[in-house]
Amino acid sequence: MNNLMTREKWQTIKSRYSIYLVLIAMIIVCNLLSPNFLSARNISNISVQISVTTILAFGETILIIGGLLDLSCGSVLALAGVFSVYVFKETGSLSLAFAVGLIVGLLCNFVNGILVRRFSIPAFIATLAMMTVARGIALLFTKGQNIYQIGDYVWFGQGSIGIIPIPVIFMVVIGVLTWYILGHTSFGRSLYAVGGNEEAARASGINIGRIKVGAYLINGIFVGLAGIILMARTNVGAPNSGQGYEFEALTAAIIGGTSFSGGLGTAGGTLAGAFIVGFLNNIMNLAGVDSYLQQVIKGAIIALAVGYDMWAKVNRTRKTLGAAKIPNERKEAKA
Amino acid sequence: MKFMKSIRTVTAVAALCLAATTVAQAQNYKIAFIARAQADSFAAWLANGIMDEVKKYPDMTVDVMDSQADDAKENAFIENAVANKYDLIIVQPNNGEAQRPYVEQAVKDGVKVITTNARIKNIPGSSSVDADPYEQAAVNARLALKQIPQGANVVVLNGPSGNMHADMRRDAWQKEFFDKRTDVKIVGEQIAHWNKEEAMRYMEDWVQANDKIDAIVSMNDNMAAGALEVVKDDPKFAKILAYGVDGTAEAMLLIQSGKMTSTALQNAYDLAAKNISVAHDLLTGKITQIDTDIDCPLVTKDNVATFIEIHKKSGAIK
Repeated sequence: MNNLMTREKWQTIKSRYSIYLVLIAMIIVCNLLSPNFLSARNISNISVQISVTTILAFGETILIIGGLLDLSCGSVLALAGVFSVYVFKETGSLSLAFAVGLIVGLLCNFVNGILVRRFSIPAFIATLAMMTVARGIALLFTKGQNIYQIGDYVWFGQGSIGIIPIPVIFMVVIGVLTWYILGHTSFGRSLYAVGGNEEAARASGINIGRIKVGAYLINGIFVGLAGIILMARTNVGAPNSGQGYEFEALTAAIIGGTSFSGGLGTAGGTLAGAFIVGFLNNIMNLAGVDSYLQQVIKGAIIALAVGYDMWAKVNRTRKTLGAAKIPNERKEAKA
Repeated sequence: MKFMKSIRTVTAVAALCLAATTVAQAQNYKIAFIARAQADSFAAWLANGIMDEVKKYPDMTVDVMDSQADDAKENAFIENAVANKYDLIIVQPNNGEAQRPYVEQAVKDGVKVITTNARIKNIPGSSSVDADPYEQAAVNARLALKQIPQGANVVVLNGPSGNMHADMRRDAWQKEFFDKRTDVKIVGEQIAHWNKEEAMRYMEDWVQANDKIDAIVSMNDNMAAGALEVVKDDPKFAKILAYGVDGTAEAMLLIQSGKMTSTALQNAYDLAAKNISVAHDLLTGKITQIDTDIDCPLVTKDNVATFIEIHKKSGAIK
């Protein structure tokens, strides 16, 4: 009996926390492969390296849970970043530059939200359009040239409080905020409902439009912040930066168990997904794996990790359904 | 009599119009500059330079088209430029071999073509203006032969594979440096796609794995600047040497401050000026074909002040 209980508990842990088990397994393997892997500096480096895409991934998680998507985040990040750097260079005010970055992200995503809600344009198309427009404005504004000599602005990406780098602090704050919004607010609960079944959510009185625009606005703040961090980290206002970041963010969210069909996903899962990708990149560089081979290995391990996560969940669902079904089937057979 | 006079007047006016049109046509050459990707800062710098330079020639106008680093788009722009009867096309290839058949067809259709940054070789009838990518890296490699210490550990940052400039620069480092300095060990080598942030990520990992890195060998300035950003405050790497190519504003400032060792200037203004001057010579019949290169001077702390002026002119350095 005790054995059965323990096995069931293990099954529950395995299915519910499978992505974290993958992460732990990865940490063990990476540590065996490289003695430097678990050093404080290396972990700090990995955390800084993944901070920008993880912040974007938190935004994508919120959107995907609500049945939405943002393909424009890489371009909006660049636009917010170059405007923010420009304002800093003109005024010397860090707080104003920070505010401008957030406002640009917010405005672009407000437009995304309006396009999706008011004009019923699919999120994929609306944000694809924004991706082109935002990149175009960033390039027009800078004439395609980088903005150099950004001075104290680098603090947002290279500074630290104590031993903790600023980008990591931002990443943690945004992670906690996402966790709180999703799990502890009525907005979060409504978001899951809208993403899970929009019609049912509407029937239960949820204001779908408000939820969708709200999700884009939150994402906008995250994207603006990511733009500020990236420009500061690279010490340059680069209008061509952030290309392909939307896919890195989506990868982290999906690996972390966010379902593309909506209604499923957690902040913790996304963070785990981002770390899995970060650890993979890091260990392959530490081990000196060839660039081309890295792509093959990365793709294969991502497929394996997600495959295992899905298998564990499906297995659990089958067992739950099976356990509920078997007694009924027996009763039906007796009758 | 009156009728004859009218005929003469009409004929004279028509002849005048025809002559005026011919003159106007002869004096308004249409050029298409098909850029690799306006999001690429060097390509944007070149496009801006071409637009500035063409203002010096009242008989020429330039339209800039952005291929967005996409072969299919670039090829379509070449076809469209031929169909729209541009007098001359300047092609900055995304991938020379992918654009080759389209450039060959444009030449066959009688349009003058210049390929630039990088040139597409061996297309009879087309011209080219470029900087020699082998030499750009070689001038740095020859300097490094004297500077990099015995038994040094170095890291190498490459451009995208298949890109002619990336491959030829790496080839130059191999032949001019690594083959001659077998004592030097490459402790990390990755493709960072010309990208600063990607180079930072690689360098952050390499400094974890290696206590000693003596030099950064980078195929462009952007990646060298990224790697330097990682070690700039680390006293362990205070004497690290760093080599790049391009002569970007950021590299010039790093060289001036003593953080970067050298770069080879690929001056987009020179490239633009030469492209436009060759285009004018081709269109006015002064020449029928030419393959020419701009210089790629080595920039070190000793001469960087001269080159910083170029970037002050563009507004990149204030």
